[in-house]
Amino acid sequence: MPKRSIGFAQAGTQVCLSWFRLSIMKRFFIHVYELTAFSLRFFKEVFLPPYEFGEFADHLQNFGSRSFPLVSVIGLLMGLILALQTKPTLARFGAESFLPAMVAISVVRELGPVITALVVAGRVSSGIGAEIGSMKVTEQIDALEVSSVDPYRFLVVPRVLAGTIALPLLTAYADLLAVLGAYVFMFISGGMGWQLFVTSTVSSLSISDIVPGIGKTFFFGYIISIVGSYFGFRATGGTEGVGKAATSAVVFASFLILIMDFVLVKVGILLFE
Amino acid sequence: MVKLFGNLRVSTIPISSYSNVPTFQYSVLLPYKAMIEIINLHKSFGDLAVLSGLTLSVARGETFSILGKSGTGKSVTLKCLVGLLEPDAGEVVVDSTRVDIYSRKALSEIRKKTGFLFQSGALYDSMSVLDNLTFNLSRHHKVTHAEAKEKSEHYLTLVGLSEAIGKMPSELSGGMRKRAALARALVIEPQILLYDEPTTGLDPITSAGISELIRDMQGRFGMTAIVVTHDILCAGIVSDRAGVLKDGLLKYTGTLNELAEIEDEEVKGFFRNPL
Ligand SMILES: Nc1ncnc2c1ncn2[C@@H]1O[C@H](COP(=O)(O)OP(=O)(O)O)[C@@H](O)[C@H]1O
Ligand SMILES: [Mg+2]
Repeated sequence: MPKRSIGFAQAGTQVCLSWFRLSIMKRFFIHVYELTAFSLRFFKEVFLPPYEFGEFADHLQNFGSRSFPLVSVIGLLMGLILALQTKPTLARFGAESFLPAMVAISVVRELGPVITALVVAGRVSSGIGAEIGSMKVTEQIDALEVSSVDPYRFLVVPRVLAGTIALPLLTAYADLLAVLGAYVFMFISGGMGWQLFVTSTVSSLSISDIVPGIGKTFFFGYIISIVGSYFGFRATGGTEGVGKAATSAVVFASFLILIMDFVLVKVGILLFE
Repeated sequence: MVKLFGNLRVSTIPISSYSNVPTFQYSVLLPYKAMIEIINLHKSFGDLAVLSGLTLSVARGETFSILGKSGTGKSVTLKCLVGLLEPDAGEVVVDSTRVDIYSRKALSEIRKKTGFLFQSGALYDSMSVLDNLTFNLSRHHKVTHAEAKEKSEHYLTLVGLSEAIGKMPSELSGGMRKRAALARALVIEPQILLYDEPTTGLDPITSAGISELIRDMQGRFGMTAIVVTHDILCAGIVSDRAGVLKDGLLKYTGTLNELAEIEDEEVKGFFRNPL
């Protein structure tokens, strides 16, 4: 769009809207527009050489090692708490034997993917936002550009790819630990042998629980990395800008994960039920 | 349209204006003889007009120093030359290619033959000093890994950092970082070199050494260079011509001897206290 028409558009809207409303609206739309453009660019760049295999491997490892301890603890606790919460209720109806199924289904379908994604977003989105943000404010991204290295392809693509692949694995692992956590609780509270527990867990789960549950984590992993990168690239100013990038990344990523979850649950219901 | 980040730019040129725009293929026919040609460059940030009508022409093999107080737009000028900033108006031509008209391919060609020393150094802090140098070399300049390593070590020795080869940038002092960044700019042995304050923050002895090195590189590779500096001694050693940036344009240009004669308080200020 020629620059002239920006002037006209702005002048026109300024007549209609107060300055306050304009600036808020403008900020919002700029945000939506830029994040969309930034995210879509990934699908173009990911297929183009040069492929940064080394970077990809590093970030996959980074993503995993940053999240692994946290996800382990959260996974176990998730199962424990869920069992703790539901056992008395189920017991009241004499339905205690349904507990493994209840835990398994709620963890695999919903809690595992969403809680893991939110926890990892807190860890990784902020990390990526700060990393790329500090490269931005110290002109390292400019330096990449001047060396004819596309910063998007070099910094964003490997990170997003790594996130998209790592999160489903982490979620599967968290799901397993949650089931284990529930079993530990059942064992301690003297309810159930492990054979019965395992059989009723396995038989309660069907492919239509597992596929949508794990499937949506590909989207969450993508969101975690792309939002972190996006805010990193937008960072301006000094160290303060880096801090802001990290915080905004977590807030936005968490928000988008929940929105995406809503959409995907809806889609999942249409597809699998 | 919304301005995205430097690398994610939507073309803002209306089709109609392409008619009188020189494209890459026709560039040989253009009347740009100098290696670097800036014509009537304007750049502002919001209300702040930084450059307003800067014109500069640097011949092949020549070294031009830009003097100026801080905040006058020296770094902005250099960034416009490599397409990191988009000028509001004016022409920027490097090696007969318009860089202000965004064409990824043409720009990439120009950047491959340009070395850029950032004012802040801008070393990649996830890589060791050595990797900072080999990174660019092994990507675009067809050399083997061993050659790249050898060459990098050579240039690090030239800037006096042979003992810091394996260190991370965070372990270096400010002056060492600057020198490592200088080595990174030199190691690709580019045709064009843009130095943003190469000697700022260095002690006088190292400064003189670095200035000699810059002069030496120019002699050896016939580079075309622009040196942004406050350091009149450095300018004296490296430059063929110099100019004073003031009020958004190059107010005075000429040899350093000519500049020294100018009756202007600011210009005199540069010559009064050579560090
Ligand atoms: N990306 C930017 N956004 C907004 N203002 C900028 C930007 N880059 C530079 N400026 C402003 O432009 C002016 C000139 O900056 P600069 O070229 O860095 O000065 P110097 O001559 O010291 O190198 C300064 O006032 C600076 O604040
Ligand atoms: Mg500067």
